[in-house]
Amino acid sequence: MSEPITRRKILVDYRIRAAICENCGRVYFPPKSFCDVEGRESKMRPTDYFYEKGTFLTGSVIRVPTNKFSYLKSYLSGIIHFQNDDLKVPSRITDYVPPSEEIDVSEFIGRAVVPRFRKTYENGASGLIYYSSLNFSFEDDYYPFQEYKLIKPSSKSENRDKPGIVGYGVYIPKFRIKNEAPGVPGVKERSLPFADEDTTTFAVEAGKRALIHSAIDCQWVKKCFVGSESAPYAVNPSMSTVSQVLELGEKYEGGFFSGGIDSQFACKAATDLFIDAAALVAYPTFGGEYVMVIGADNSQAARGDPLDYTVGAGGTAFIFGKRDVIATLDCYVPYTSDTPDFYRRDGEEYPKHGGRFTGIPAYFKHVGTAMKAALKMCNFTPKDIQYVVNHAPNAKFPYQVAVEAGFDREQIEPGLVVRYIGNLYSGSCPTALAAVLDIAEPGDKILMTSYGSGAGSDAYIFTVTEAIEKKRERSITVKEQIDNTHRQYVDYSTYRRWKEGE
Amino acid sequence: MKSIKKLKPLAAVVGAGRTKFGELWYDNPEELLAEAGIKAMGSVEHGLRRKDIQACYFGSFLYQVTNKLGLVPGYMARELGMNIPMSNTEAACGSGGSALYNACLGIRSGEYDVVLVGGFEKMTDRSGKIIDDLMLAGDPHEFDTGYTFAGLYASMMVRYIHDYAHGSDSRCREALALIACKNHHHAMGNEYAQFRRELTMDDVFKSPLVADPIRVLHCSPISDGAVALVVVSPEMAKKYTDTPIYIVGSQQATDDVSLCSRESITGIKATRLATENVLKETSMTMGDIHVAEAHDCFTIEEILFLEDSGFCKRGEGWKIVYDSYESFKGSKHIPYVNGDRELIVNAGGGLKADGHPVGATGVRQVYECFKQLRGEAGGSQVDNELNVALCHNIGGTGGIATVHILVRELQ
Repeated sequence: MSEPITRRKILVDYRIRAAICENCGRVYFPPKSFCDVEGRESKMRPTDYFYEKGTFLTGSVIRVPTNKFSYLKSYLSGIIHFQNDDLKVPSRITDYVPPSEEIDVSEFIGRAVVPRFRKTYENGASGLIYYSSLNFSFEDDYYPFQEYKLIKPSSKSENRDKPGIVGYGVYIPKFRIKNEAPGVPGVKERSLPFADEDTTTFAVEAGKRALIHSAIDCQWVKKCFVGSESAPYAVNPSMSTVSQVLELGEKYEGGFFSGGIDSQFACKAATDLFIDAAALVAYPTFGGEYVMVIGADNSQAARGDPLDYTVGAGGTAFIFGKRDVIATLDCYVPYTSDTPDFYRRDGEEYPKHGGRFTGIPAYFKHVGTAMKAALKMCNFTPKDIQYVVNHAPNAKFPYQVAVEAGFDREQIEPGLVVRYIGNLYSGSCPTALAAVLDIAEPGDKILMTSYGSGAGSDAYIFTVTEAIEKKRERSITVKEQIDNTHRQYVDYSTYRRWKEGE
Repeated sequence: MKSIKKLKPLAAVVGAGRTKFGELWYDNPEELLAEAGIKAMGSVEHGLRRKDIQACYFGSFLYQVTNKLGLVPGYMARELGMNIPMSNTEAACGSGGSALYNACLGIRSGEYDVVLVGGFEKMTDRSGKIIDDLMLAGDPHEFDTGYTFAGLYASMMVRYIHDYAHGSDSRCREALALIACKNHHHAMGNEYAQFRRELTMDDVFKSPLVADPIRVLHCSPISDGAVALVVVSPEMAKKYTDTPIYIVGSQQATDDVSLCSRESITGIKATRLATENVLKETSMTMGDIHVAEAHDCFTIEEILFLEDSGFCKRGEGWKIVYDSYESFKGSKHIPYVNGDRELIVNAGGGLKADGHPVGATGVRQVYECFKQLRGEAGGSQVDNELNVALCHNIGGTGGIATVHILVRELQ
């Protein structure tokens, strides 16, 4: 598919865009400029089904796929019916691995499905990667349906002068691998992508959930940052895909009045930008209400490397703003030095690291320094903080550095989600922060300290507000995703195949 | 035999030729078409000179993709050594039928009296890529959701079984396998057929899965081959042969390229419309048809044809197939019986066993009927006396359908 064809398809496929005739209600996918029945009397209006729920009408397990889909081996394709508008679209059911023997596909008929933004296929290793939302998962499986319902922002805020987090969304894939290797400090199991997922799809799903949680209008998100070290393109931002799918910013001729960048600073690529996001929404000429910051990674590790037993996959998105803030950003301390403890040269597939050098002179020095400086800046002692969240390359480092700073187990444990999902690299600290926000009470203070090799740390102190309570019903908590009974375990060879395409 | 009222012919077939279908490694597609064309011209009883041919209508789907060649008229001008008007029709698996439809229009308009109609395809040269290539006849969104053609028809089959066999009547699944068995049985006497071996239901159910519930032996094969017809105006028919086969109905209908966007997933609207129109054009009913060529690209489509054509009611096609097969006592052609109606479908093996070089298929169907109505079908000849035949050719999953009715005796 050429680049111009791809662009035209993006406009339809990313949102399942259709056209509805306002006179007779008939819906057309892909969209068309007139209604077959109404003809010149047609009154067509664009519509989309990105946030809708459909039902499985019929389908088939494809055992002999086209070459483009051979990477999936076998899978379920089907026809989805959006009943409200009587629209049918083709689909692929994702996160589903058919058994090798024949199945009765009719058993799926009538099951509710939710659109998912996934890869369709790649044009070879050097060509374009194609995405679409014509992929669905069963609503009663791992991925629930959530309505995107806007709530008018409050006109005044007690914390109007203090920006912070307005909402967040966490996306952890359905699939897991159990850690059976000895010597992995505290990581019991880890998330991994399905074969059609990558960092960009994680970012979109996390961002989608953040919009739903915040209940804000996507057109007022004027900037989006995607922090990652596993972006699928070396050049071509994930951020523009996220903005196109989630329609961030005011629409104009197929594009949006919004901006942003992909950022890279090992595992702190996203957290570094929290302060920038907060600063932007407070800046008088910014002209937008919100900034989205996403940390997402399909954390890379060479086969057999010690990292191969800690890496996870997923991402978390935060929306920063000034109204209906659920946690104010009260303190920021960055600390940076040129410490080459972990790196990946351009063109190399996997990162390298300095072994034990990644510990005391790298992680502990930077995290410890930043978190202590933040406490000092606010004249806090560990007792003033309810939760402490640190970047988690494993379960030992974040625990140890917190203990050394004077924190106790109750303050540390809620953020140690690395045990169940692994190290999400750029998504690690954001996801741990989300896990703590899931349970925090108004007034609680959270100290979060990220770490990015190379090396630097950002320490932030947040104060949770009353607004958090009303938004809880719209969140899918980290614990719910960790404990989800539909999560599915795979073996090591499947893990490597899906994660790295091996 | 029922008597039918005097019919007004649109055109007449006076000669027909074809190649064997199958893996034809040593032939270029244009050579296959030339071979079929020369055979067709040579078969005209009273002789036909090349200069008599005023125009050519070809049908091919994947010529440019499979063999990296374009401009079919130019290649065929070279092969046939002629400089007359030529056109190539692409309508996926319906290319051949559409080429004949266009040829009939050319004759009906009065512009031409003698034309050559050819259908061809060369698919085995792309064995590793043909599944992708065939999806050119689908909506790109179907391709991008991982669909294959087998998968699309399997989706129709799943819904059909669910809606009309309540998902649990095993006889419906058996009927879908028996169609393959019947068509292989019919092909036993067809010297040109790709497969000349009997199948059992067990063979079908033990064949590898392609797209649940479709297995390899529910599918028509990947084939090479070409077929040609000499089609003339009715007035000229007797000049070329004493036994012309008249085309008395020629209709085409279209529908949305995407299966999802159609009115029904368990029926082909284009088939229904084209058949309704051709029966109206000829003042016939399906009860007047003695033998039919149905587009059995997958066995489910043969059942849909029985229903879309009006041979039986919606949802009853599978029962007709099952009961007809079970009650059959003879040894040759297995007719479908619905009350007092009896119809032999795919007497030479259909797409399933004769083969399915997609652009050739619609023309091959007419070739088969031409031979059957003239009593020249050799080992595949139906024992009954035949006078009326129907050819049903569709493209994609029903984006286009052409239906022709042929008769031997006009009254």
